[in-house]
Amino acid sequence: MSNVVIRADSLSKRYRIIRSRSASNSTFSRSSNNQDFWALQDVSFEIDRGEVVGIIGRNGAGKSTLLKILCRITEPTEGKARIRGRVTSLLEVGTGFHPELTGRENVYLNGSILGMTRAEIRNKFDEIVSFAEIDQFLNTPVKRYSSGMYVRLAFSVAAHLEPEVLVVDEALAVGDVGFQRKCLDHMRNLARSGVTILLVSHNLFAVKSMCHRVLMLSAGRLGFDGPPAEGIDLYEKNSRSEANSQAPGVIGEDINQWPIVIRFIELLDEGDAPRAVYEYGERMRVRIHYEVRRPVRYPNFYLGIRRSDNVACCSFSAARDGVTAPLLEQSGMIELLTPPLRLVSDVYSTYATVWGHEFKSRYCEQTGPSFHVRDEVLNEHFGVFHVPAEWRWRVNGDGKQVTPLLSDQLTEERSMSLGDALKE
Amino acid sequence: MAVREQSIVSGSVESERFDLLIEAGRGEKNYWRDLWRYRELFYFLAWRDILVRYKQTVIGIAWALIRPFLTMLVFTFIFSKVARLQAPGDVPYPLLVFAAMLPWQFFSTALSEASNSLIGNANLISKVYFPRLIAPAGSVITSFVDFLITLGLMAGMMVWHGFLPDWRLLALPIFMALAFGAAFGAGLWFCALNVRYRDFRYIVPFIIQFGIYLSPVGFSSNIVPEDLRLIYACNPMVGVIDGFRWALLHGRSPLSSTALIASALVTSVLCASGICYFRRTEKTFADII
Repeated sequence: MSNVVIRADSLSKRYRIIRSRSASNSTFSRSSNNQDFWALQDVSFEIDRGEVVGIIGRNGAGKSTLLKILCRITEPTEGKARIRGRVTSLLEVGTGFHPELTGRENVYLNGSILGMTRAEIRNKFDEIVSFAEIDQFLNTPVKRYSSGMYVRLAFSVAAHLEPEVLVVDEALAVGDVGFQRKCLDHMRNLARSGVTILLVSHNLFAVKSMCHRVLMLSAGRLGFDGPPAEGIDLYEKNSRSEANSQAPGVIGEDINQWPIVIRFIELLDEGDAPRAVYEYGERMRVRIHYEVRRPVRYPNFYLGIRRSDNVACCSFSAARDGVTAPLLEQSGMIELLTPPLRLVSDVYSTYATVWGHEFKSRYCEQTGPSFHVRDEVLNEHFGVFHVPAEWRWRVNGDGKQVTPLLSDQLTEERSMSLGDALKE
Repeated sequence: MAVREQSIVSGSVESERFDLLIEAGRGEKNYWRDLWRYRELFYFLAWRDILVRYKQTVIGIAWALIRPFLTMLVFTFIFSKVARLQAPGDVPYPLLVFAAMLPWQFFSTALSEASNSLIGNANLISKVYFPRLIAPAGSVITSFVDFLITLGLMAGMMVWHGFLPDWRLLALPIFMALAFGAAFGAGLWFCALNVRYRDFRYIVPFIIQFGIYLSPVGFSSNIVPEDLRLIYACNPMVGVIDGFRWALLHGRSPLSSTALIASALVTSVLCASGICYFRRTEKTFADII
C-alpha cells in the first residue's frame, strides 16, 4: 500500500462569467454573453502522508479554488481527486460562530461544524477554554468579545481538532502577529506528528520555513511542483516580471495603455552591491528602471515597503522630497537611498508606483523584489519599526538627573543596582 | 464507502484504498451516508436556531404563543362576527380557527425559514462542506419546536372550552407528517431557487401572506363550492388543515378523502421534485451564493 494521501488527476474548474451590464438582466438571460473562465486547469499532483505542502500563487491563480475542491465545498468541472483519511478544512477562523451565542455554545457549534463529534468536544472542552484564556467570559455572547478574544477562542477550537489531512487557507493568518505565530507553531507541531498539511499562503517566509514542498499555481495551471526554495524564487521572479494587478485604481487594466512602465527594481546596499538580506539599521539603495511611452507630467516616483503579512510599513515619495519634473519624456532610472531602515526582522516586499501630481492619479505600479531584514532580537513583537529614542530618567528622592549610560558601560552589576535604585 | 480501484503504476498493479473520491457528478451513494454522518451537525444547527431565535427578546419564547393567539382572535372576530360564518357542528369558532392555525403557523414559519436557510448560512456554505440538505431540514425541525409550544396552547383552549379530543387525536401525527412534507418540499424548492434568484426572498413572504386566506384557516373548507373542492385541495395545506380539524374536533369538521388524497399527492410530488432539484443544484451553491 502506497503512502499517497491525496491524488489529484487533472482537476479543472470552470466558472461562467456573466457579461452583462445589469445583474438583474443577466439573471434571466441565457444569452451568449457568458464567458468561460477556467479558475483551475489540468492540475495533477500526489501528496504523501505527513507532507507539508505550500500552495503559492498570485491572487486569482486558483489556490482557493483548489482548496475548495479538495474540501468538497465546490465540485471540479473535470478531473478527479482521491483522498485518504479525514479531511479537516480551516478556510477561515471561527466559521459559523454566532454572535448571539455564548462562548460555550459557540465552542460546541464551531466544533461540530469543523467535524468534531459531541463527545470529542465535551472531552476537550476544558482544554479549549483554558487554551483560549477566556474562562470568565464563557457565558458571555461572543458579540461582546473583543476581537482578540474572539479569534483566540476560534483558533483554540481549531487547534484541538485531530485531523489526518489538514487544509488551511491563509485567511487563518488574521489577528495580531503573536496569534499568527501561534498558528504557525501549532501547524509545525501537527506536521511533526505526521499530519498531512496543505497550506495556502502569501507569507513566503512561513512557506519556506514550514513546507517540504511547494506547488505554484499561475493562471489556474500548476506552474511548479518541487522544493520550497526553488518554488519561491520562481514565484518572486514571475511576480516581478508581471505588473501588479492587485493595485486598485491603476489607469486601465491594460498594461499596454500605461504611459510609463517600471521595467524592474533593483535593491542594493550603500556600496552598490545587490542585496536580498539587510541587517537592521542598514541603508538601502533602490533603483527603479522605467520606460516612458508617452510623456508624463510631474511624475511622482514612489517606493512602498510591505511586511510579509501585507502591512504597509513605509514609503518614499520623490515628489514629496522635492524631486519631480514638469515633463518626463525619456526612459531611464531613478535611484534613492533610504535612511537607515529600522524595520524589525521579517520578510518585506517592495513595490514602486508612479503617481501623478498630488497622488491623484496613478500611472503605473510594479512589484519589486522582496528582502529580509535580520536582527537577533528585534522581531514583530517590537512593532513595525524599532527606532532609537532619547532617554532620560530621574530617581525618586534627590531629584537629581542621572546622566545616561552607554550600553557598553552597563555591566550586569550596575544595572542591578540601578534597578534597585528605581524601586526605592 | 471506500472507493476501491486498480491503478497501474510503473508496470505493477497496485491496489489502493481511498476514502473519498471527488469528481464532477460524483455518485449518490456517498451523499446519503454523509447525511447520516453529519447528523450531529444537523442537531447543532437546529439547536443554534432555537437558541438564537428568542435571544435578547424580553418575553422570549412567549412570542411563539402570542402570534398565533392574536391571529386567532382577529380571525375569529372577522370570520365569525363580521362575516357571520358558521362553524360546522357546534364547535366553538375559536377552536375551529386555532386547530387550523396550528399547522398553518408551522407551515409558514418552516417555509420562510427553510427558504432563507441557505442564504442565512452563506458563510458556512462557502467555507465548509456538509450535505446542504441539512440546512433546510434543520429549519423545518426548528419550526416544529414552535409548533409543540402552540400545541400546548391548543390543549389549554380545549380545556377552557370543555371540548376534549376523542380517539381521532391519534391520527394527528399523520397530518403532521403531511404538513412536514409540504413545508419541506416547498422549502427545498424555494431555498435552492433563492440561492440563484434572490427574487424568492420577496416571493415567499407573499405566498405566505396570500396562503393564509387561500387555505381554510379562518373558515371551514365546506363553504367552498362543491365543484371547486378538488382544485382547492391541490393546495396541500387544505388536506393538512382539514385533517387537523377532523382529528382535534371530534370529526365534526368534514374530511373528504378525495381532498386528502389530492393534498397528499401534491405534497409527495413537491417533496420528490424538491429533493431532485435541490440535489441537482446543490453542487453549485458555493459558487453562486
